[in-house]
Amino acid sequence: MASNISGNAYALTILSPIKNGLQDETAYADIVRNRLQEWNAENNSPMALTPDTYLCRFFVLDDVYTETLPGANAWDTVVDWLPFVPNFLRRWAWPKEDHLKSRYLVFSSNFYCGPEGTIDAYLRAMWIAIGDRIKEIWGYCYGFENVNDADQFIAYMKKCQLTATLFFVGSTDDPLNEQLKALYLKQEFAKFAIDNQGLDKTALRNNFQTFFDRVQPANLSAPTWAAGKYRLED
Amino acid sequence: MTKQLDLLDIQGHVLRAYGRFHYPVARYIFLNIKDESIGRDFVGAISKRVTTAVEWGSGPGQVEQPPWTVNIALTYQGLKQLGIPRSSLIGFSPEFVSGMKERKDILGDDGPSSPEHWDPIWRENRETREKDVHIFIALNAQFSKDSDLLGESYDWLLGVIKEHQKGVAVLGGHRGDDGALLDYQDAKIVMENGLPTAKEHFGYTDGISDPVFEGVPYDADRINGRGKQMEDGSWAPLATGEFLLGHIDEAKEYPPAPNPILLSRNGTYMVYRKLHENVATFESYLDEHGKKFPGGKELLAAKFVGRWRDNGAPLTTAPDADSKAEFDKKFKEAEDKDDKKAIDDLLCNFTYDNDMSGGKCPFSAHIRRINPRASLEMIEGDKPGSLKMNPKAFDTPGALSNRRRLLRRGLPYGEVKDRSKDNGNHGIIIMMVNADINRQFEFVQQQWINYGNDFRAGNDKEIILGNHSANDKFSSKAVIQVEPDSDETPYILSKIPRFVETRGGDYFFIPSMTALRMIAQGVIDPT
Repeated sequence: MASNISGNAYALTILSPIKNGLQDETAYADIVRNRLQEWNAENNSPMALTPDTYLCRFFVLDDVYTETLPGANAWDTVVDWLPFVPNFLRRWAWPKEDHLKSRYLVFSSNFYCGPEGTIDAYLRAMWIAIGDRIKEIWGYCYGFENVNDADQFIAYMKKCQLTATLFFVGSTDDPLNEQLKALYLKQEFAKFAIDNQGLDKTALRNNFQTFFDRVQPANLSAPTWAAGKYRLED
Repeated sequence: MTKQLDLLDIQGHVLRAYGRFHYPVARYIFLNIKDESIGRDFVGAISKRVTTAVEWGSGPGQVEQPPWTVNIALTYQGLKQLGIPRSSLIGFSPEFVSGMKERKDILGDDGPSSPEHWDPIWRENRETREKDVHIFIALNAQFSKDSDLLGESYDWLLGVIKEHQKGVAVLGGHRGDDGALLDYQDAKIVMENGLPTAKEHFGYTDGISDPVFEGVPYDADRINGRGKQMEDGSWAPLATGEFLLGHIDEAKEYPPAPNPILLSRNGTYMVYRKLHENVATFESYLDEHGKKFPGGKELLAAKFVGRWRDNGAPLTTAPDADSKAEFDKKFKEAEDKDDKKAIDDLLCNFTYDNDMSGGKCPFSAHIRRINPRASLEMIEGDKPGSLKMNPKAFDTPGALSNRRRLLRRGLPYGEVKDRSKDNGNHGIIIMMVNADINRQFEFVQQQWINYGNDFRAGNDKEIILGNHSANDKFSSKAVIQVEPDSDETPYILSKIPRFVETRGGDYFFIPSMTALRMIAQGVIDPT
């Protein structure tokens, strides 16, 4: 099994290079960042509409630059200590820098991939659910101008994929609708316990039957906790 | 050689809860500094009368116990106003700089506890320079049949203020009886049938398990149950640096403190909070659930706190009527013999080692949340829903709680004239002393009082102090656990209302005597 798959959970990492361009005196990468930050102000992230997403994160990676640490090996330390080492040798042991050629859009998502362990179905569903919102963000990335349908999106994303193992803590590998139903049942059961404590066996049994009929434990679609919902009042 | 503190350099209320030393009344006064130089003179004049932590008695190195005490503390704005150099000011902790009002989200001071409902002095604090609280002065007095000692101390203070009236002004705006606004906050112990008690207005004995740390001579025989729990079952005093700056703490480090060292050493931080107690809400909630709770009302009241209301018996030792009767017998014997050590052991010397599932003392009970001892080191037990101690998880049994301890000072305020009303003038002035407000007080408040995850209690809050909401959608609950092998069902407290509301407060720095003298002279110089 690939290291970015854990049971039925998939850890997807996408790095898409953002074009070095500008619009209204704002760099494309800054526009992307700003749009992502505007998502925070929406009632829910558009990603809540993407089925089976456990947790995901977007960010703009500006640059990475330090490749080595000073004194990373024993020789560097020796060179640093010896007073007679000429300066050019000393500087040669300094950290080497390496920069990115462009800024990157990073998309990291954990989702339910099922026993087959592929990303196609997830990305297809994502395109169908929020295609327009995807274009808002990825539209500034190299090569995205050729993406017009779900198949092209899947192909593009696969090109940008890094097989890193970025798993978020806080989820099992069960399908999302099962997890949401479990959360719903847990909350409803706590309420049931509060409302019915101290009742005699018959009343308890009757009320439990009513409760059972209402919450429909086997029905994953309803009633349940809505995906992406993090406020009680909604 | 065991550690000895410079008692003459430490302010008295850091090491002593005055209530326990026969000072049943207190008055807290807050001042604004109008002029830096006069402000420093004022601090100098007060310092000459400040009560230190020196041992009281007639032996060598001891002084006679004073009829009334004086202590002083400063806010961040106060230190700034007194001309402490910026290079020293930047060494104070960020939360101290921010102050209590700005930390309301962390402290859970919302709804009726939010700053707009605080007493005027606290509402107006940190809004304009003229209304900023700069100086705190605490007067504590003994009781005397012949004279009003608290009045005497207050007259003395007013005299000193008058001499410096061009530079310092008293800030009024403390709510008193019947909505009166006073120039001071009074506090006094609660009387019951004409006799003094150690109780607060809900009827619980307060402040029993105050931490004991290294170097306090008069606490040397009070370590059991108050220090830190050790692997062999014994108790040791906590590291001094948990409560005093400039000393090694439980992590074997010096707590972060401002420079120069003479400004911070033997000083510490104090959290002042005025907490209103909704006695009517408390009584009616306790009555309502007391009727349904299998063990009855008094046991339920004990479950809220972890101690029985009549004599403070801990639930871990006296979980039911039989064990309580046995405890009462032993307690009475010890009281009759005036055996303080035995009384202390009965009240304090317990652990949660035999109560890891919370069947005796619930996870949301006050004393378990404030001071969990070694009870957080639990893993799933053998029976469903049970928990057990995992002795291998950490180096010491107290690893998760030793750095979250708080010295608790202060007294109840006001009087309950009508137990069927919430809006009287009654509550607690609590002052918590610690070396790191964020790590100690704020952590306990945020994670242990207003959240239950560390106790495997979900988002159940501490029953008495939690910022509960009785709102249907966000209603608060707490589970009263039962023994894992019993046939009983856990009892769920539902729709817990807000029993305690914040009415104001701020963060203060308690300087050492050396620091006070240097501040007065204007010679704090970190370079």
